[in-house]
Amino acid sequence: MLPDDAVDRIAEGCRQIGKLCQNNEIQQWEIVATQSYGHSIDIEAGKISLAAGGGEGGYGIRVVEDGRFGYAYLVDIGSADNAIQQARDIAKVSPSVAGFLLPSEQKADKVAGLLDKNILSISPEDLLEQADAILSEVSSLDERAVVTGGGLGVGASAGAIYSSEGIESSGVTTSHGIGVQVSIDADDELTSSFEGDSSRQRLTNVPDCVAVAVDWAQKTRGPIEVNTDAHDTPVLMTSEGFSPLFSMVVPSAIRGDRLVRNESFWSGKQGELVLANDLSLIDDGRLEGGKSASSRDGEGVPTRCQTLVENGRLIGSLWSTRDAAQQVAEGRIEQAESNGCAVRGGHQSPPSTGCADLQMVSSQKSSSQDALLERMQDGYIVHSVMGAHTANPTSGDFSVTSSTLLRVEGGEILGPVKQAGLSGNLAKALSQEVYLGNDVRVQGSYSSGNMHLPDVLLMQGLRINPV
Amino acid sequence: MVMSASPTDEHRPSTGRYLDQSKIQAALDQAQELGASYAEVRLMAITDSSVALRDAKLERAIPGQEVGVTLRILADGAWGVHSTTDLISLPSQIESTVRLAKAVAARRSSKDKPVQLAEVPILEDEIHWKPKKDVRNTDLQTKIDHLKTLHDSAADDDSIISVTCGWSDEHLHTELMSSEGMNRVWSFQRSLINASVTGRDGDEVVSYRTRHGGEGGLEVIEQCDLGQLGESARIATLRLLKAERAPSGKLPLIADRDLTGVYIHEALGHPCEADLVAAGDSCLDGKLGQSIGNDIVTVVDDPTIRGGYGAHPIDDEGLDTREKKLIQNGVLTEYLNHRETAHHFGLEPNAGARAQDGLHHPLVRMSNTLIQGGTHNDIDELMEDIQYGVYACGSRGGQVDTGRGSFQFAAQEAWLIENGELTRPLKDVSVSGLTLQILKDVDGLTRDARLAAPGFCGKGQTVPVGDGGPTMRISQALVG
Repeated sequence: MLPDDAVDRIAEGCRQIGKLCQNNEIQQWEIVATQSYGHSIDIEAGKISLAAGGGEGGYGIRVVEDGRFGYAYLVDIGSADNAIQQARDIAKVSPSVAGFLLPSEQKADKVAGLLDKNILSISPEDLLEQADAILSEVSSLDERAVVTGGGLGVGASAGAIYSSEGIESSGVTTSHGIGVQVSIDADDELTSSFEGDSSRQRLTNVPDCVAVAVDWAQKTRGPIEVNTDAHDTPVLMTSEGFSPLFSMVVPSAIRGDRLVRNESFWSGKQGELVLANDLSLIDDGRLEGGKSASSRDGEGVPTRCQTLVENGRLIGSLWSTRDAAQQVAEGRIEQAESNGCAVRGGHQSPPSTGCADLQMVSSQKSSSQDALLERMQDGYIVHSVMGAHTANPTSGDFSVTSSTLLRVEGGEILGPVKQAGLSGNLAKALSQEVYLGNDVRVQGSYSSGNMHLPDVLLMQGLRINPV
Repeated sequence: MVMSASPTDEHRPSTGRYLDQSKIQAALDQAQELGASYAEVRLMAITDSSVALRDAKLERAIPGQEVGVTLRILADGAWGVHSTTDLISLPSQIESTVRLAKAVAARRSSKDKPVQLAEVPILEDEIHWKPKKDVRNTDLQTKIDHLKTLHDSAADDDSIISVTCGWSDEHLHTELMSSEGMNRVWSFQRSLINASVTGRDGDEVVSYRTRHGGEGGLEVIEQCDLGQLGESARIATLRLLKAERAPSGKLPLIADRDLTGVYIHEALGHPCEADLVAAGDSCLDGKLGQSIGNDIVTVVDDPTIRGGYGAHPIDDEGLDTREKKLIQNGVLTEYLNHRETAHHFGLEPNAGARAQDGLHHPLVRMSNTLIQGGTHNDIDELMEDIQYGVYACGSRGGQVDTGRGSFQFAAQEAWLIENGELTRPLKDVSVSGLTLQILKDVDGLTRDARLAAPGFCGKGQTVPVGDGGPTMRISQALVG
């Protein structure tokens, strides 16, 4: 999948562009390159609809002169001179940030588990066989169940960063992912569930998420009547239901620049309790096999594992180099520096600030789902929500809809509810009575990084409005 | 090496084309010799720029150019696709992509219908929607000046703690050649400006977003009164600081043009996409020709509305775009389709194929979707017999479960309606419902339908869209 010399070639490209920057007497420069290859299979209506492959890549150039930065990106190295000039012209009209310098070289230890050579040898035919196995498994679990959408894919990505400050780093990561939308359309009722899994390591041929999708499509059938108006209630959110809201609201709240600019609901609360006093938030940029982990962040600074909220108390925040320098220069904070939290959306964008592999943990003993239901007594299990992206990251307020939820009474599941609105303020709900499940699952994010979350029982602060 | 061989503008042949037509024609011929029933090469070159101002200071400006090309091959009734940024390597991928398509076909069971494409006119031409003011000739300072105008009016209050303004423009150039002899080139531009305003009063923090944009060049931005746009955003932000949480329950709802657009996009537009219908993932399966809504409801999707953010002259299978009438007086009259689904359902192709860029294959997508106007003169007429309800404005986005037919969309701000009048401002209003129910519950529309603020639609790929309509009344909606 990945040419043997992919890393060498993009590293050489970075060197060539760096040399051009030197020839142009640019004060500081940083060149990033990405080069990705992959295969994918689309599934529709219970069959493989398409097989695809390909690759893409490019270079990004950041120049810094007198605290001013400019950026440009390109595909063809032959146009690097032009891109350098564009970046330099932009830097000239950018505001000067006192003290803003590109990071200098620091030793960065490798992070294990980011490359699985087994993935490199997966062929399109192997993926087709895996797709067949998944389709067969769904049929065998429930002959009414059909994979109506989704697919699977493998990828390998070579990346490199070179800078005038001595950073010269490159490497390869791999990924293997699957997502399936399973529907059961029978007896004038259609139910469905989307589940997915992804890893830097090769997944099993039929990952557990396939059975989970069938299970939720089955257990949301035959909705019961719920004759109540909107009411405040405990809600047990599965990891899959909770993570979209959490990732929309929490990662941006712990960005250093947003905190000091009063743009976070946790602004001015450093050292104060912001979560339930047994909860901690940890961002581990060095997590073995972490999907957002790497030895260096998006601007070459060594990554780290850092606790941001400890036993409910806000003790840290995320910083990249320029954001830190800018907030200090503008007098919003006395001292700040990068803590390895620069993230990039590829070669097409300069670094910004964000989390990597964010985990929420409890110092209390975690519980099985049955124990959480016993504790909840009356309430709902919510497994997916619609409209999480409409949550307000500035306030933490949200109002979403779920069609994948179960009514619970006396600690027992009564049955599915056809549809309900779910609203509240996530920051407030997480600061009250919260219990965590014992099965942490990795989820994607609406902002940056990946979320490592178990099922979460929120006893207060949420409101359900059943149809 | 994928990225090293892509030509840039400077390396384009004197024909003005990125694709070397003789080499691509030879590759398409080779695909047919290897057993492809259809082969297509589509290239998209995007010259773009984005600029962001934070608190009136330039935060970032990024000029860029992307060139991507996708080879799509239909062999034995199945698709194989190869996408790359390396144009020169494309001919060498023909054999493996035909093999891929055949491998997919070999896995089909006998009951699976092979993919076939509806017949379409085969055209060789160029269509260029020329902007009045080409964005590629707009210098950075001009963009910054416009952003500052927007910023200054949005930030003009002590309770406004932050204003971030953004600009994006793009020139899109597409070339498509197929084994059927289609050989088309088209281009157009899009421009967009936006602001995100954050206000704070003690522990209360709120935000409001505003956008203006459309198909076209700098003139799109110049046509907008940016001072007014910023002022409206500021006033809305300040109002949200004093707003109450919305009541929950089933209530009469009036939606402004923005929200009406998002509603019709989510609730009806997505379930009308024929690829979802064919996949068994649409609540509108089998309902063509049936009444699914109140007879005052007529909905079109029209990529030919110049200036709309979803406008484009040719779809990504090379078909001239045209208006699609999805609902006529409450009756479902048309799905959005591409050539594959048009053949599948035995329908006329209606040019609904769009791809995010040159590296993605086309899917069935919306463009500019709007409800046509009704008979009410204004919002006062819609409100006059509502005792207790909600008027919701501006969109924070929405989502739909097309199979179940349930949807959700969120408003930026709202008011309580009491005894036919707007009373208190509300915040965090979302609306959810079931497509087939809510379309019947639309019971009032003002006359003045037009596109609202530009948006983006995600379906695995992100494409710009326009939505809109008149002000709309729904007799009963689930408000949260």
